[in-house]
Order: sequence, then C-alpha cells, then structure tokens
Amino acid sequence: MPRRAAPYTTQHVVHFLFRRLAFALLLVIAVSSSALLLTRLAPGDLTTELGARARPEDVARARERFDLNRSPLSQLGGWAVRAARFDFGDSFLYDRPVGGLIRRAAGNTAVLAVAALAVATLLGIPLGIVTGSRRGALAAAIRGVSLVCLSIPPLLTSLLLVFVASRTGWLPAGGMTSVTAIDAGWSAWMLDVARHLPLPALALALPLAATFERLQSQAMTETIHQPFIVAALARGVTWRTLLIDHAWRASLRSMCAIYGLAIGALLSGSFVVEYVTAWPGLGRLMYEALRARDIYLVAGCAAMGGVFLAFGSVVADLLLFAADPRVREGQTT
Amino acid sequence: MRIRLLGIVVTAAILVGGFAFWRSPAAPGGGAVAISVGGAQHRGGQIVTSGRAGPRTFNRLLGQDQLSSVLSMLTMGRLLRVNFSTFEVEPWLAEKWDASPDALTYTFHLRPGLTWSDGVPFTADDVVFSLQAIFDPKTHSYLADVLTVGGKPITADAPDASTVVIHFPAASGPGLRLLDSLWVMPKHKLEAALKGGTFAQAWNTDTPPSELAAMGPFVIREYVPNQRIVLDRNPRYWRKAADSTQLPYLDRIVYEIIPDQDAELLRLQSGDIDLTQSELRPDDYVPAKRAEDQGRLKVQEVGVSPKADAFWFNLKPEAWKNDPRFAFVRRREFRQAISYAVDREKFAENVYLGAAVPIWGPITPGNPLWFWPDVPRYFHDVNKAKETLKGIGLEDRNGNGVAEDAQGHEARFTVVTQRGVGWYERGLAELRSQLAPVGIAIEPAGLENATLNQRLVKSDYEAMYQRFGTTDLDPASELDMWLSSGEGHFWHFGDTKPEAWEAQIDALMKENVATVDQARRKQTFNEVQRIFAENLPVLYFATPRMYYAYNVRVEGVKPSVLRPVALWNADMLSVRSGAP
Repeated sequence: MPRRAAPYTTQHVVHFLFRRLAFALLLVIAVSSSALLLTRLAPGDLTTELGARARPEDVARARERFDLNRSPLSQLGGWAVRAARFDFGDSFLYDRPVGGLIRRAAGNTAVLAVAALAVATLLGIPLGIVTGSRRGALAAAIRGVSLVCLSIPPLLTSLLLVFVASRTGWLPAGGMTSVTAIDAGWSAWMLDVARHLPLPALALALPLAATFERLQSQAMTETIHQPFIVAALARGVTWRTLLIDHAWRASLRSMCAIYGLAIGALLSGSFVVEYVTAWPGLGRLMYEALRARDIYLVAGCAAMGGVFLAFGSVVADLLLFAADPRVREGQTT
Repeated sequence: MRIRLLGIVVTAAILVGGFAFWRSPAAPGGGAVAISVGGAQHRGGQIVTSGRAGPRTFNRLLGQDQLSSVLSMLTMGRLLRVNFSTFEVEPWLAEKWDASPDALTYTFHLRPGLTWSDGVPFTADDVVFSLQAIFDPKTHSYLADVLTVGGKPITADAPDASTVVIHFPAASGPGLRLLDSLWVMPKHKLEAALKGGTFAQAWNTDTPPSELAAMGPFVIREYVPNQRIVLDRNPRYWRKAADSTQLPYLDRIVYEIIPDQDAELLRLQSGDIDLTQSELRPDDYVPAKRAEDQGRLKVQEVGVSPKADAFWFNLKPEAWKNDPRFAFVRRREFRQAISYAVDREKFAENVYLGAAVPIWGPITPGNPLWFWPDVPRYFHDVNKAKETLKGIGLEDRNGNGVAEDAQGHEARFTVVTQRGVGWYERGLAELRSQLAPVGIAIEPAGLENATLNQRLVKSDYEAMYQRFGTTDLDPASELDMWLSSGEGHFWHFGDTKPEAWEAQIDALMKENVATVDQARRKQTFNEVQRIFAENLPVLYFATPRMYYAYNVRVEGVKPSVLRPVALWNADMLSVRSGAP
C-alpha cells in the first residue's frame, strides 16, 4: 500500500544533498584507502621500476621517500593526515605532486566521459524506444548490433577504431591534440580536441549505448503493457504521443537509476580505451600507476575515481528527482 | 522542455565535432615548410617520434631510463661520444685531446666559440662542475659508479676556459669510452643548486623549459605530461654539415607519448608518427613490410641484436632451501644437457619467426667488438643430452616422460617470465616442447613485470626467462653482471662464496677493466666467454635480427643496434624536400 509523505521542501533537498555529500566523502575515503593498502600489499613495489640491477642505496632511498619502510597501516595513517590537507603525496613515476597530475588527467577524462555519455544516450535511448515498442526486422537488427557491442571488449573496440582511423585518415588515430595545434590559439585547440574526441568516445560509448538500448527496450516493453497506456490508447491518443509523452517518461525511472552506474563504468572502461588511444586521462594514469606500484598516485587516482562515482550517483538521483513526480512529491512505494 | 533544450545543445556539439571531423586530417609535420639549400639534405620541417612513457626528470645526471638517454642526445653535450654506427670514440665538444704516456691523464681542447642555448659561453668550468655534481654525495647520481675507476673518482681541472684536464685514478680498460657518459651540465644554471644541496631536485619535470639550457641540437620547448615533449632547434648549436649547412636540419622534433605499442605501430603505418625509439617486434615485421610496399614506410635491417633472451635457473642455494632438485640444478652437466637438447635453428624459426640467429653465449654477433666466434657450442643432440643427464643420475625411471633422480625427485620446474610479451611466451612454449623429449618438464608462468622483478630481486623463483638491456658494447659496462659480487649477477644475487669458475671470471674481468692494452682485453674476455659457456649459469639460444621502420619522408636515418636506434644522430635527420 503506497505511503504518502509530505511534499518536498528546501529543507528536504538540503538534507538529501548533505546525505549524498557525506556518502561521497565516505566513498572517497574507503576507495582511496583500500587502493593504497591493496597496492602496498600486492607483490612488488615501486622500487622494481628501478630495475633488477638497481643500486641498493637507490632502492633504500626510494623506500624511505615513499614510506615503504613503515607498516601499511602507519603509512595509510600518515597519508590520510596529509590528504586531509589536500597533500596526496608525490608520484614516483612523474617525480611531482600527485594532486596536479590528477587534476589535469581528471579534466581530460571528464571531457571524454561527457562526450561518451552523450553519444551513448543519443544512440541508446532512441534505439531502445524503437526496439521496445515495435517488432520486425529493424528491431531485431538493432538488438543484434547491441549484443555485438556488449560482447566486444573495449580493448578490441579501441584497437579496431585506431586501426580504421589509421587506415582511412578520417580521424586522428590517437592522442588528445595534434602536433599542429602546438602553436595554435584556443579556438583551434578546441577544434583539434573535438577532432580527437570521437575515437575514444566511440570506443567508450558503444558498449554503454548497447546497455542503454537494452535497458530502455525492456523498460518500454514493460511500460506499454501498463493499464494507463491501454487507457490512453482507448482515449484516442496517437501512438507517437503515447510513446514519447507517456510511455517513455514512465520508463525513465529505471534508466535514471542506471546513470550513476554508467558514470562509474565509463571510468573503469576508460582504463583500456585511454591506454590504447593515448588519451591522457585518469584511467591511463591509474593504469600506469598500478603497473609501477606508484602507491600515492594509485591512491590519488582511486580517490578521484570515488569522486566520479559519487558524482554519478548524485546525478542519477537528481535525474530521478526531475523525471519521477512521485519522488518530487516525497511519495515512495 | 529541459530535455529538449539538452537535445539541442548536444546536437549542436555533435555538429561542431562533425565539422572538425570532416576537416581533412593534417599530415605529420604539417605547417612546416622544407627549404632546399641545394645540398643532399634540406633544412626545416619537423618529425614526430614516440615512446612508451614520459620523463621522470630532465636532470641527465639522475635519469637512467631510455627517454633520459634520448633527451640527453637531443639536448645535452659531452666532450666526446661513441658513434652508434661505428662504435668508435669521436670528438664532440672537444675538438681534440692529448693523452699522457701512462694513459691516466687526458688534456681536452674545447672547440672555440661554444655557447649554451641561452647564449652563455661554454667553458671548461662546466665540465669540472659536472664532475663535482656527479660525485656530490647529495646528488646520488648513478654516473658516479660509471665514472669511478679502481674505486676512485675521475677528476678534472680547468687550466683555462678552453682546456680540460681529466685525471683517471687508475688504468682503465674502456678508458675514454667512459667519458661518453659525462654529460656536461651548465654551471651558470645549477651551481646554486649544487651549493645548496638541492641538485637532486633541480631540473625536474616542473622546471620551466627556459631554464633548461642546452648544448645539444635541440632545446625543450614544452612538456605536456602524458602527451608530448616538443623540442625546437637550438639556434646556437655548434655543429655544421660537410657542406657548411648549420645543423640540425630539422626545426622541431615532437616526442609523442603512446603507451600502447600496437597503437604506436598503427600510427607509424598511418604516417601519424615518423619514427619510434625501438626496433620492430618480430610480429610487426609483416605489417611494416606491407606498409613499405605501399610506399609509406622504409624498413631497414639494422643487424643482429646485441641483446638476447636469457634462460637460467636460480643458482642461489638459499633460495632452494632443502629442495632436493638443487642437487642436480647446480650441476653444470644438467645445464649442458639442456643446451644439447635445444635445436637453436628451430628455436629461431618458431620464436622469432625466422628472423634470428643461433647463439651460445651472452655476447652475440651483434657486438662486433667483443663477439668470439670460437665460444664452446652445444650442437643439437637429444641422445647426448640424455646421456649427460644420465651421467648425473637423472633418467626417466617410472616411464612418465619426466627424468628423476634415484630418490624419485623429478626434473620438473616452473619458469617465470613477463606476461604479455609474445616472444617470451613463444620462447617458453618452444623450450617446453624441446626439453620434453629429454625428460625435463617446464611449466611456463607469466607474471606482471613488477612482480617478476620482485621475484628476481628476492631470488624467489626456480627458473626465469627474460632479457636485459645493454647500454654499451664494452664488457666493462656490464661489470655488475660478470662479477660474482655484482648487483647484476642475476642468477646468483648476493653471492659471497663464488664457485671456482666464478672466481676465475672475477679475476679475468678485474684484469680486463684495468688493462689499457685492447688486444689483451680481448684475450681475457674471450677466456671469460669460454668459462661462461662451459658452466652455463645462463643459457642463450637465439638473438633476433633487428629491423627498424620509419616514414619514407625522413632522411639521414642510420639505425643502430643500440638505443636510441635513430635519434642518436638527430642533428643529421631531415625531411625530404617536398614532403608534407
């Protein structure tokens, strides 16, 4: 039996945002601490980057500098105290503070993620509406393509797209900017980034678009069999209006919920895509940090990943808030 | 309404992106105009090169990685250099030198009129300062080891601005070749850091490029982490071509950071980059050759690689604890049997897809200065391998295909290697199949690089298959591997009690590095190779032929078996006249 609560107020929204921020903070702390501890406990440490024939004094100095002589918990404690002052330590690989590296890389990943999310949404949702609301060859073909996109690992998609780009010359085969943009102004630089964006964005977006298509399709199928849709049809509402204004809106609830997860998936998917397409983002930075056991860089990247996840979760909640009148009215089922 | 608005915004963004997409892609080096000067090569233009990772520092006295070496050759200078094509020492910032009769003192005469890229004169004081910086205990420079002879540092003094006197504390086999590592740093930029004890932090990757004074053909203009390094021509570079053309020919070199080697190859094929820092992998030869047939790349055979993949057992007794298998692993006959069991021709064919030559020791035909063709060899003979194993009590007693000793301990081992490297994996698969007929069973295990290195350092493995790089062809550069007390004595780390044959190698190598007579050095090193091949602490089966691919528009490329393959003579590279 539905329970009706009081309609939402500003206080409700503030309370909601406060809870979300507290959750985000906890998530960031948990993710970064776990990453630091796991990196510390994994076989090998950053001194292996010095090579098997490194001088013992170089190894000892690196261990001292990166607190590897302390116990894992003591190291975590020291790092946490410094991190609270926004000092995330130094990167071994880059020999510079982690904070600056992450800021730059996170910005690049955000650009890529927004583009990929936009492409995935614009492809996945309309196609999901089509396959969820009609039968026939077109719907079957779309479903087939979706399954293929879901099945191909991002590594293969990335390499395939790099291959196509390098063979055809239609798009730059990697990187974020061209050599020609070195001396260019801001507008030329942005156009250059826009030229480099489609390849990694497509590699990230295709499996996500397929996921959206499948989910939207299922939600639409369920919605168009609801009594209110049948009633609207009986009232003479056109099929097109019915689909967009009634059925699609009603099916949005489940789609909004998946957006938070999608942003997290974009980050994890970006590991391999950024690596192959040489996009200088957070995924690639974290991959290199993990490979080299660059402990503070790993923890910093994981913290930023936590921020991305928390942001995705808040966005999903806000979308749900905007799309579902029951949420706005404080009504739960 | 909001959703519609969002739709309009996204559509507009896609249209803008689409417009950019349909603009014709720029050719590499676009924007730069090649100017004919009437000579064989042309001034102007730029090339794009690439590598796996960015720099950790711009301080050459600290950076040991491959990129540091590349950047040094592009931006720094030294008194003399080892030519990577002839492997001979040749004058560089010093135009000539005189040696004392005992070969302990060398007087270098600097070229007249040398200046740093910022216009400050280059003097002998810069050389003296660089040696001081290298041996300053706070610098922790790895070059201090390289430039130490007989336990004492090489020193220098400057009688006048254009003369440097270098003193060797003892006779040195490699002699002047050691000075190939003496990169000269600008005293006027770094003296304060050295005095303040902060030299080790100076010239890090945050340093503004304008501070990085250069003596090489190029200066660093920009570094974008994880993306690229841009190097522009040094307008004050000292070198001129034979036709008096001011070098370097190129206006700019762009070093793109491309972490994935497969993607790098695709970009090389597409013309997105002009040349890379490494030779082709065996698997990359066919696609590169196809691109050559289409007129996009030039594929050049460089020669036989001076490096080879090594297969060895952990010979540190403590690592085996009470494992009874060590009783036969430590016998040289066991390792000799393996050497007899392996058909090296077949190994070369299957592992390197035919582009390799058989070898019997760590010094390959790719090292013409020190290769010894008469090194003891073990030609493929399965019966002899079985007899040799039987001679040490190993034979298949229970008929399960694996040899065991009298107590039933099987010759079965796990061999670790780096995961994801095609030729390592093929090499172990080939060894597994070739050793099975003689009753030695190996189980390959691929490990991630950091884990593999840790296992190596901690001697936590049974057997390993890996390749170690080499920076110079002179055996003195590998002293840490040859000496039983060395940090690179990888089959037996932390050795305190060398075997008799190891003690022999120790004595010979110590003599080798302290002998100026090159004929005597060759003789002692041949003897070292003989002892090594007889005892086989490490087994070598084949070394690849090196092929290098680069864009056809680049001229003046002289690929070397040493790295950097092509950029070692960056000042002589140019782009073809009329090339985009």
